[in-house]
Parts: sequence; structure tokens; C-alpha cells
Amino acid sequence: MPEPLLRAEGIVKVYADGTVALKGVDFEVRPGEIQGLLGENGAGKTTLTKIMSGLLHPTAGRIFIGGEPVRLRSPRDALERGIGMVHQHFALVDTFTSLENIALGTGLPLGPSLRHSVTELMERTGLKVPLDTPVENLAVGERQRVEILKVLSRKVKVLILDEPTSVLTPVETDELFGFLRRLKEERVGIVFITHKLREVMEITDRITVLRRGEVVGEVETRKTSAEELARMMVGEEIRIRGRRPVELRTELGEEARREAARARGKPVLVVEGLRVKGDGGDEAVKGVSFEIYPGEIFGIAGVEGNGQTELVEAICGLRGGTGSVLLKGREVLGLSPLELYRLGLAHIPEDRWKYGLILSFTVAENSILGRQRSPDFLGSLSILRWGRVFSHARELIRRFSIQAPGLEAPAKSLSGGNQQKLIVGRELSKEPEVVVAAQPTRGLDIGAAEYIRDILLEMRDGGKAILLVSADLDEVLALSDRVAFMYEGTFTAVTTPSEVDREKAGLYMGGVKA
Amino acid sequence: MTFSYFWSILFLSLHAMVPITLTAAGEVVGETAGLFNIGLEGILLLSAFTGALGAEAGGWWLGLLVGIGTGTVVGLFFGLINAYWKGNQLITGVGINLFALGFVAFGLQALGTPGFHDIPREARLPALQTPVGGLSPLVFVALLMPFLIHWFLNRTRAGLWVRAVGENPEAADVAGVPVELVRLLATTFGAALAGLSGAYMSVSWMGSVTKEMAAGRGFIALATVVFSGLRPILTLVGGFIFGFFDSLATWIANIPGVKEIVPWQFVSMIPYIATLLVVTGVIGRARFPKALGVPYRRE
Amino acid sequence: MRRLYASLRSVAESLLAAVVGFVVAGIILKAWGYSPISAYISLFKASFTDLYGFSGALANATPLILTALTFAMATRAGLFNIGAEGQMYLGALAAVAASLFKLPAGLHLIVALVFAALAGVLWALIPAVLRATRGVSEVISTIMFNWISRYLAFWLVANVLVDPYRAEKTITVLPTSRFPTLIRGTDLSYALFLALAAAAVIYFLLWHTVTGYEMRAAGENPFAARYGGVKSGKVIILVFLLGGITAGLAGATQSLGRPPTYAVYSGLPQILNLGFDGIGVAMIGRNHPLGIIFAAIFYGGLQSGARVMQLFAKIPLEMVRVVQGVIVLALALPELLRIFRLFRRRKLLEAKREGE
Repeated sequence: MPEPLLRAEGIVKVYADGTVALKGVDFEVRPGEIQGLLGENGAGKTTLTKIMSGLLHPTAGRIFIGGEPVRLRSPRDALERGIGMVHQHFALVDTFTSLENIALGTGLPLGPSLRHSVTELMERTGLKVPLDTPVENLAVGERQRVEILKVLSRKVKVLILDEPTSVLTPVETDELFGFLRRLKEERVGIVFITHKLREVMEITDRITVLRRGEVVGEVETRKTSAEELARMMVGEEIRIRGRRPVELRTELGEEARREAARARGKPVLVVEGLRVKGDGGDEAVKGVSFEIYPGEIFGIAGVEGNGQTELVEAICGLRGGTGSVLLKGREVLGLSPLELYRLGLAHIPEDRWKYGLILSFTVAENSILGRQRSPDFLGSLSILRWGRVFSHARELIRRFSIQAPGLEAPAKSLSGGNQQKLIVGRELSKEPEVVVAAQPTRGLDIGAAEYIRDILLEMRDGGKAILLVSADLDEVLALSDRVAFMYEGTFTAVTTPSEVDREKAGLYMGGVKA
Repeated sequence: MTFSYFWSILFLSLHAMVPITLTAAGEVVGETAGLFNIGLEGILLLSAFTGALGAEAGGWWLGLLVGIGTGTVVGLFFGLINAYWKGNQLITGVGINLFALGFVAFGLQALGTPGFHDIPREARLPALQTPVGGLSPLVFVALLMPFLIHWFLNRTRAGLWVRAVGENPEAADVAGVPVELVRLLATTFGAALAGLSGAYMSVSWMGSVTKEMAAGRGFIALATVVFSGLRPILTLVGGFIFGFFDSLATWIANIPGVKEIVPWQFVSMIPYIATLLVVTGVIGRARFPKALGVPYRRE
Repeated sequence: MRRLYASLRSVAESLLAAVVGFVVAGIILKAWGYSPISAYISLFKASFTDLYGFSGALANATPLILTALTFAMATRAGLFNIGAEGQMYLGALAAVAASLFKLPAGLHLIVALVFAALAGVLWALIPAVLRATRGVSEVISTIMFNWISRYLAFWLVANVLVDPYRAEKTITVLPTSRFPTLIRGTDLSYALFLALAAAAVIYFLLWHTVTGYEMRAAGENPFAARYGGVKSGKVIILVFLLGGITAGLAGATQSLGRPPTYAVYSGLPQILNLGFDGIGVAMIGRNHPLGIIFAAIFYGGLQSGARVMQLFAKIPLEMVRVVQGVIVLALALPELLRIFRLFRRRKLLEAKREGE
């Protein structure tokens, strides 16, 4: 067996906030081989490849290149040793032309010789792009080609591609695959990260499956199947304590609840034909429609990056979109978060630290964010009645068992779980009728996550309509009354948890339509 | 307007343009890389003083050199704090300004001439004599520099790095560009040019050092950068406009007839009002690097 | 308890920065051939060892507190307002203008103060609107306004408010419009209480009203603030206007509260740079009203001590501004206290390792 080009041994990565991303991963890249790296969100794929490409330092473990142990201090280090990475969100300077972006990666000075070598490279690889157009004006497929050319211009031995087809059309995908096969012949080792089962079956030679920071399987592509991969990706056991296992939920119970919901009347939230543009200008949400009734949890499952974030932002007033969002019959698409709150919508934001909390503010101050002008807290002359704020905060702490050093402690001193409980508690104190919970348990330890899930169930039982968006499949299946799977901006399936087993879920999440 | 009036206004304007254009052109490099240096005012003042001392010690060329050196040192300091240690660029800039005010006033007093210091004729940079008046050689440097900087930013690989680092430091990092080093050097270059401008002011243009010599020119340079939309060649235009208004004040103050009607104080305001109008009008038109003023952290 | 710890840390940072400031300035002094020790001794002895000296420090601190509040308030809201200087000049002159007519004592003073506050507000209005509506950098606009104000002030002193008998100064402020002296024979007037009251009011505003809450939220996390319903345009205008009031009042304390002149001289000697110094005071005081009061007294003490130092130790008084500049620079270093924290963390790690 040929010596692997790159070998990672026992890689552990613990982030500054305590999250364990990788728990001891071994990984190998062999020349002339396309290796697939498969897994859900949070499985650790991106973390592993960022470490291999020098962007992050591992907490423990070693990396060997050509058999020699190395320390990759920066992306520059990795590039010099022949490891190149094409990122999912392209690392391109928008205002630069293609040629300038490619030049950024090379060591060559600008000038005719550079243009010559790039043109030559384009011929050799078959990847053509207009050299003098600013990349912000290029189509996505072309931008990816610029990104690849940039990496290739450095003579790499290992090429890592992170979710390369997530933004490509089928035709562009075929072209990319053709290129990768040609690259194989040059004895380059290729790592292909994806969550798309069909593709990984098509293009790879071997597949490594990651789950929750560990390698759960390594197979040869021709010896496995999409179903088996799906099973490995989402796992066999049910990890959520105290929930009735999905398989045990009876059809009858589901049906009864749905009847009760409908009996309660009209849907509280109706979304129709929602289209939302992402940051790059492309459509991230491509026509989504659904409705949520009071007293139910509607879950949206799927790997992150398929439009869920943009969908939530559009519904919650943080991003524009076209289509229709009706809240209690009123068109609300485009309203500000404050107006939405007044109409009865609460949002547990995905980006806790950006939208959810003001980290340097105290627990008490954060407990009223959004409600600071409510008569509950306001005295005459716009004086804040701290007495009332404190008792409100104390009540939240009690009700949600928030561990905080004190009411005057800055929010950043709380653990992730307690921060989230604070946010959830605060949003609930707005007494909303609709709650949008985006990745509510992300990064939380088991205890806190369980707690939050219990609260969501309680809210549901109390008659609220809940939109739950989560990349944690178990969570979505265990909590939702109805579930949709989102892939590349649309729903691949809308069903109930009892009709979905692990395998089917994996398929839907991987792009296979119901 | 008679012929000689035209030349004298032109020359006055060119002389007044030099510090603005040089400083602004240099700051264009710094801001293109993503650092915003409001300490330029302080650097101008400081290097005017140190340049004067240098000139008295060893002639005008030493004075200019010392001025550049002063700017470089301050620039390195600023770059170190803000590019590497992720400090607060605005506070650092204010600190530099305060320090410069104090140091120059202190130095002038220590020299025995509080508030004002004349530079002997031998130490000054002699002007090039043309048939229509004297012109400082640094005027030509100021006219040339924006073009050099334009060439550097747009036609060299180093310039590419500078632009990348300010627009998308993450992309640059991933491509292997040493982000912090590039930022440090870019801002130091800008500070060095400001240092040259300051030395020019004392050693070549005015021939003296006063406590408040910068008179807001550092900020006018910043406004010129805004006006130029980070296009170096436009700093020439901006600098000349402000130089024109700057010299207008001196000119008007000396014309009989006009002097009585328009109080000199209002004329002195003109450069600042003009700056304000330009900055207000231009905002929205200009496109600034996305990472301007934002420290870059990996992970 | 946490809050106390955090405040102590801020105080420690300022103290450390002050030490750095004195050390660096000392090096500069040494380089110029002066003795840092004798300099600092005379510096501190003057202002902090006897009542007369201390009253001088307090008198100097008065306007500094007010201009520092202008900057500090804006910083808390995420803005960089350095326009106190210009607003202050006009405030000082507006207060003098109140002496153009006669009013009974007490009322006269109040009217003068109102004039001063109005002048400050009007001068702050345009940069505020420019920033709120067109996103014009307030850094540049306020500096330009400072310089325009300076020349405007020169003109006003020489032409509109000029004393008919002595052309180098404005008319003298009428006795009915002055701040009464606090301690006989000193510079210190009741203006001090105005400054302290302003600090108290601003403190109350920022931490006990909804408006203040929203200002601080906008400054700390504009995203979450917007999400919480805070309107940024409103915040900007309000912060600038309040800053204009305090800056205008700062000017008034100088023209109405400085014996024996009670006027403004051409060249604006008594009010020059007070706005700029206020920025340094605000930074050292960590943008908190209480910190500002202490920092202002510190600065004020340095300033009056500087004159004494010049007399006795023969060191140019401008040296204090060097100290001030270095202190601010030291505060710009985020790493300043990280040195402390590094030591602590290393000790913790060592302890942990031993325990394993």
C-alpha cells in the first residue's frame, strides 16, 4: 500500500468555549484516490479539514505529511507543503478579477508571465474562467473554478474540497467531476467533503463517515450503498433521554394531535412561496410553503447551509424576501423584529452572540432586551424600574434554572447552556403565540439541551405554535409533530416523524426526494 | 486677474497641497490594507518638530530624513498595536495626537522659545527658482507620489496583497498572505509619508515650528482620503483643492480692499467648510474596503 | 460582586496606564537633561498636599468633567464624538453674550447657562444629523466643526463681544451672571457643583433610564440592539445633543467661573484644548461618570502642578500633556491587563498540573 500523502492521527479539537469538535480522529489521504468525508453538521468534517489545511491548530494529535510529522502553523505552511483547500464559502476577494484572485495564491509577480502560466493552467485542467472580470460578477460555478485554479496554481499534492457541489448546477457538477477524475490521474490525493449521498457514491473511491467528532466507519465506495451510509451518518441509537423513541410513537397518537390542532382553528403561521436571497446574491430559499397550527411543533431538519438560516431570518424580520408570510392572517414579511414581537412572534436566534444577547450587559439587562419599553418596567420620565427588572430576571432564573453568578453578572460569564436558557426565558416572557427556535440546542451540553427541549414541549402543550429548525436530526424527530426536510432551498419531504426511519431521513437530508 | 497673481496663487496652492496630498496618498495605502489612522495629525506635528531639529543638526536632507524616520517609528508603533495586538485604532490615534501636542510644546519650551521656533536659513530646503517664483522640490515629490502609489497598488503583487488584506483578510490568510505583516507595513508607509509631510512643513515650506502647526491638516488629509475613494490619483485633486483654499486665506488677508470686507477669520474657515461639504457629498459614492477598521482574528 | 471585580480591574488598568505614562515621560525628561524625580515631586506636592493647591485642581477639573462626559456618552453609544472643543468655545461665548443685558442675580446666571447649553447643542446638531442620515463619519465632521468654531470664536471675541475699552478681550461678565466663588481667594467656584451634577445626571440617564439602556445597547452590540427595537438614528441625535449641552456648559464654567477675569481673551487661552483634554480624561476614567470625576481631578491637579513644576524645577509645563498622551496610548493596548491575566492563568495551570 502506498505511503499516504497525508495522515492525521488522534486529532482532538476542543474550542475555546468548551465545545468538543473532534474526539480523536484518524484520517488518511492516499495519492490518486478520491476520498469522501461524510457526516452531518457538527460531525466535525470542516473542523478536521481546517486543521489539515493549517487554519486551526489541533488540541491534540499529530499530522504526518509524506511520513514526516509536521506542525502546520498557518495556511501558508500547509500550502507550502502541498495541501490546498477549496472552501465551501469561497475565500475570494470579490472586487478582484479572477486573475488577481489566482495571483493571490501564487508566488509570482503580476505581469505577462503570470497571465501566461495561468492560461496554461486553464488549458491543462480544462477549467476555464474569464480572467479580467471581477469575481463578484461571475456565476457561482465560475467562481468555484477560480477558487480551484487558485489552489492548483500552487502545485498541490492534496486537494481538499469542502461541499463543492452545494452551489453548482448539475451540469457544472459533471464538469467538476470530470476535472477531479483527471486530477486523480496526476496522483493527487483528493478529499471530497459532502453530505450528499448520491454524489459521494458517484465520485469517490473510499468514504470515511464522521459522527459527533468520531470516525464511525470507513468503507470502499463500491462495497457500500446510500442506505448504509445514511445509517452510519445518523446513527442507530436514540440518544435523547426521556423521549418516547420515534419508532414507538403510534400513528394514532399523532393523528389525534393533528386533529386537535386543526380543531383549534386556523394555522397561526402560513408561509407561501417564500424566496430568500443569501449573502452571495444567490437564492438560498427557493420557494418554500408550509403552515403551523397552534399547539404543534413543526420541525425543519437538514444539514446546515441548505437555506434554513435564511428562511428563519426572513420570517423573523432580519432579512428580506419575496412571497408571503402570514402571522394570524396578517402579512408580516418585511416587518422589523420589534413589530413582529408586538404581533406575537418570538425568536430564539441561531447566532446567540450576535442577535440574542448583549454579552457585556448583565443578566438582568439582557432579560428585558426587546421589552425595555414595556410598561412593566418603565416608570415615569422613561426611568427604568430596576426593582421590577430584577424581579423579572429572578423569576426567569428560577423558572428556567439558570445558573448565573448573580443578576449583575455579565452575560458572557454564563455557560452556553445558561445563556440559551436566558434567551429562551426572555423570549417566552414576551408571551408569544409563535416561537421560532433556530438551532436551539447547538453547542449545549446534554443537560442544558434536554432542558431546552422540555421547555419547547411545554410551550407546545400550552398551545403555542413552534417552528423548530435544527441540524440535529434526533432532536427534530423526537420533538416535532410534523417535520420537513430541507435541501438546497426547498423541502424534499414533508411528513410526520412516525413515517420516517433513520435511513429515509438520511436520504431526504442527502437530497433524495420523497 | 493679472499674470503674476495667477502664478503666485498657483505656487501657494501647490505648496499647501504637498502635506495634504502626501499624507493622504500614504493613508490610502494604510486604509486599503484596513487600518484607519487618525493619528496623522500628531505625526505631522511631531515630525515637523523633529525634522526641524534634524535640519539644524545636519542640513535639510537630515531634517527630511528624521521626519520620515519619526513617521516610520510612530507607524510601526501604531501597526504593532493594531495589526498584531488587535488594539483600538481610534484610541491609539487619539493618543498619538495628544502625545504629539504635548511633546512638541514641551520641546519648544525646552529649547527656550515657547510656542515658536525659527529655523535658520541655512537649514532650510532651498526652493527651486523659476522665473515666476520659488517652488519647493517636494512639490514634485507630491505630484509624483500618487502615481507611484497607484502603480504599486494596482500593478504589483505586493499591492495585490495590500488590497486583499483590507477587503477580505480571511481569503488572504487562506491564500498564504501574512495578513498582519502586510497591514503593519502598509500603515507604516502611510505614517512615513506623513512624517515627510511634517518635515516638509517646517524645513521647506514655513521655515519654523509652532505649537499647533498641523492646524487640522491631518484630518483634512483623512477627509481627502474619503474624497478620493481610495483612488490615489484623486488625492492630488483633493489636495490641490484644499491647498487652494488654504492659500486663499493667506492671499486674501493681504489684498487691500478685500481685507476690509471679509474678516480673515471667515476666510480661515473656508478650507474646513470645504472639507465638510466634500465629505458630506461624497459619502455613498466611495467604496471602502470591507475590513477597514476591523481587526483580523483567525478562528 | 462580579461588578465590583470588573470595576476594580478597570481602575487597575487606568492606574497601570498612569504609571506607564509617568515612566515614559520620565525617560523623555531624562533625555532632555531634566530630573524626573524633582519634576514629579513638585508636580504632586503643589496640587495634592494643601487646600489651596487642591482647590486649583478642582477648578481645573470642572470643565474637564463636562467635556469628558461629551466624549464618554458618545463612546458608550458606539460613536466617536470629538466635537466638544468647538461646542465649548461657543458655549463660553454664548454665556458671555448673556451679559449684554441686565438681569437680576441668580436668574442671570441661569439664563447664561441656558445660552451656553443651546450654543453647544446647535453646534452639535449638524454633525449629528449628517451621521444619522448620511452616515458621514463623525470623526471628520466634528473635527472640521471644531476648527470652524475656533475661527468663529476668534471673530466673535474681536468683533461682536469685544470690550470697547480693551480690544483683546470680550466684555466682562456682569457680577450677576457669575458663579459665586466657593473658597475665598481661590479659583474654585460653584461651577464645580454644576459639573458634578451633570456627571450624576448622566450616570442616572445611562443606567437608570430606558433611553440610556438603549444607548448603551447600541454601543455594545448594534445587532442585538436593533433586534431589540432600538432605533439607531434616534440614539445618535440624542447622544450628540446631550454632548452639546455638557460641552457648552463646560465653556460657560470658564467664562462665568474664573476669577479674576470673567471674560474670554482673544486667542481663547483659558478654554483652549479643554475639549481635547476631556477626551483623555474620559478614556482614563473609562467612560464612566465616577471614573471621569477622579480622572478629571487627576488631570486638573497635574495641570496646576505643572505651573509650579515649571517655576521650581524649571521643567516646561507642557510635559504633563506628554504624560497624558502616553497614558492614553497605554490604555489603547488591550494587552495591558492581559499581562496580569497571563500570570494568573499560568499559576492556575501550574496548580492544576500539580494536582493531577
